[in-house]
Amino acid sequence: MTRIDFLGVAMDSLRTNRLRSALTMLGVVIGVAAVILLVSLGEGTKNYVEEQFAGLGSNILIVTPGKIETKGGPPLVGSTQHKLTLDDSRILEKKGYLFSGVAPVVFGTAEVRYRNRSRNVSVLGVNPAFSEVRNLHVEIGSFLSEADVDARRRVCVIGRTVKRELFGNANALGQTVKVAGTLFRVVGIMERKGISLGIDIDDIVFLPVRTAQEIFDLDSLFEILVSVRNKNDIESGKELAIALLRRAHNRHEDFTVTNQAAMLSSLYTILDTLTYVLAGIAAISLLVGGIGIMNIMLVTVKERTNEIGIRKAVGARERDILLQFLLESTTLSAAGGIGGVLFGLAGAAALRIVFPKVPVSVPTWAVLLAFTFSAFVGVFFGVYPARKAASLNPIEALRYE
Amino acid sequence: MGSAATRDPLLRLRGVCRVYEAGAGKVVGLSDVDLDIPAGDFVAVMGPSGSGKSTLMNILGCLDVPTSGTYEIKGTPVSRLSADELADLRNREIGFIFQVFHLLPRYTALRNVELPLLYAGMPREERSRRALEALRAVGLSDRKGHLSNELSGGQRQRVAIARALVNDPSLLLADEPTGNLDTKSGEELIGLLCGLNARGVTIVLVTHDPGIARRAKRTLYIVDGRLVSEDRYREIRG
Repeated sequence: MTRIDFLGVAMDSLRTNRLRSALTMLGVVIGVAAVILLVSLGEGTKNYVEEQFAGLGSNILIVTPGKIETKGGPPLVGSTQHKLTLDDSRILEKKGYLFSGVAPVVFGTAEVRYRNRSRNVSVLGVNPAFSEVRNLHVEIGSFLSEADVDARRRVCVIGRTVKRELFGNANALGQTVKVAGTLFRVVGIMERKGISLGIDIDDIVFLPVRTAQEIFDLDSLFEILVSVRNKNDIESGKELAIALLRRAHNRHEDFTVTNQAAMLSSLYTILDTLTYVLAGIAAISLLVGGIGIMNIMLVTVKERTNEIGIRKAVGARERDILLQFLLESTTLSAAGGIGGVLFGLAGAAALRIVFPKVPVSVPTWAVLLAFTFSAFVGVFFGVYPARKAASLNPIEALRYE
Repeated sequence: MGSAATRDPLLRLRGVCRVYEAGAGKVVGLSDVDLDIPAGDFVAVMGPSGSGKSTLMNILGCLDVPTSGTYEIKGTPVSRLSADELADLRNREIGFIFQVFHLLPRYTALRNVELPLLYAGMPREERSRRALEALRAVGLSDRKGHLSNELSGGQRQRVAIARALVNDPSLLLADEPTGNLDTKSGEELIGLLCGLNARGVTIVLVTHDPGIARRAKRTLYIVDGRLVSEDRYREIRG
């Protein structure tokens, strides 16, 4: 008996019970589709987060004031909380031989007005290095210069959204806008960046850092961004930044240096774990589908006892019967697996339409895994009923009505 | 084995017993049966129900093996064969005809006849060719595409005969083949069997009908699992 003959026999009996076969397959279809969909969703979330952070520039260390740590007992009375200042930034710039850029940042919000239009926006006080460090570039005009910073010039660079909202299609370069009541000349317009981590990067006004400190009446910094020249030096760059700032702060470590890459990689680990958990939950439904197959195969074997008796009487060996029923269950689960892959892909496409912001992506490994697992489910849950069929006594099977 | 094979009968039973375990006790299905059936024989088996006819047929047909004693087909002892070897033996050497036909209902006549060839591992075209030939031999080649449950009882039984003969078996076992047929179809069927026997097919046939038994070359009588003489049988049956 050739393999094709077995397949024909299996297909025949599946065809005679179309509805039942379809319903049994549905269990597997749902399981496979669920695995693919949930994994795609997990991957989509991860891609989304990755995309959000990709715009932030790579190899970045973030220095923020204050120390996040847990200590026993109450905080020491009289310990002074140092702020981050432009002096800190200058030290990192001069002595940080591992760094390719140091960008002090002042952050605030202010009203920007052009003629009768006004808009509340985020205002960042930065230096020229910021553009490279954060990977944000001007499209028209030029970014803030060293001279702008040192002379505390009243110039600004505006994001795309600000430009559109205040100027519409009109030329903004060289125009004067009011930021927090002070007049500023627009020297540059940023290229479009979109939304990152919920912040519209295009809805920001950039001022020279010293000018911003003046406007917001600050002598401190919100943070200092440091880009490390070589990817492999991120950890030693972090050590270097800590050492330099400790010396400047009288050996107090009253600041925090965050390695963005390390933070991200632990975040990705969490997201990966989430994806696997989702896949695992979906796999349970696949398992339930397998039990459905086993159930229906047991019914089938019972129903076709007489047929099995006839086949055995005319010379079918145990292996022939075993293979026939095993092939039936495997066909059910493999067909269900194919259906599930199609439904899963269709569902992922639908998700992309419903949630365009989540870049749902279907990983090939998930498709292959779900399909292979479904076929395996058919074999695994088909073995017991098939064995039962194969081991039937032909005399009793023939007598069974 | 050339000369030995010609001396040996086709079937040889010596001291064959078949005992069933039934709950606590034992039921004797066959007891101490000695029987030789030469090739080309046509044997009718008669006996009251429960006498052991079916047990004998199951053992002759290699669906069952004796509890004790020996059964040889063409000199091959059957009791020592595995389930798969028995299946091969049934496939090659034995054709069955049942009272209730036992055709696969959703298969066409042709595919039913093909079934033994399928398990013999024959390629598809040769299978159809041989099956069609067998259908032609029982006069049903024009019904080859009909599903078996679309056929009349007589036609079904002829399909069953075609299936039994398609593999050129040494032995045809018929268990009350006319039991579910009307008189005319039954008569035709017996005619067909006689014709087959005349062409050299060995037949063992179980029947209740003395008229049919008379068409065989000889008749065995079985009572309580034992073979008895015709006189003894009439005595018991009154």
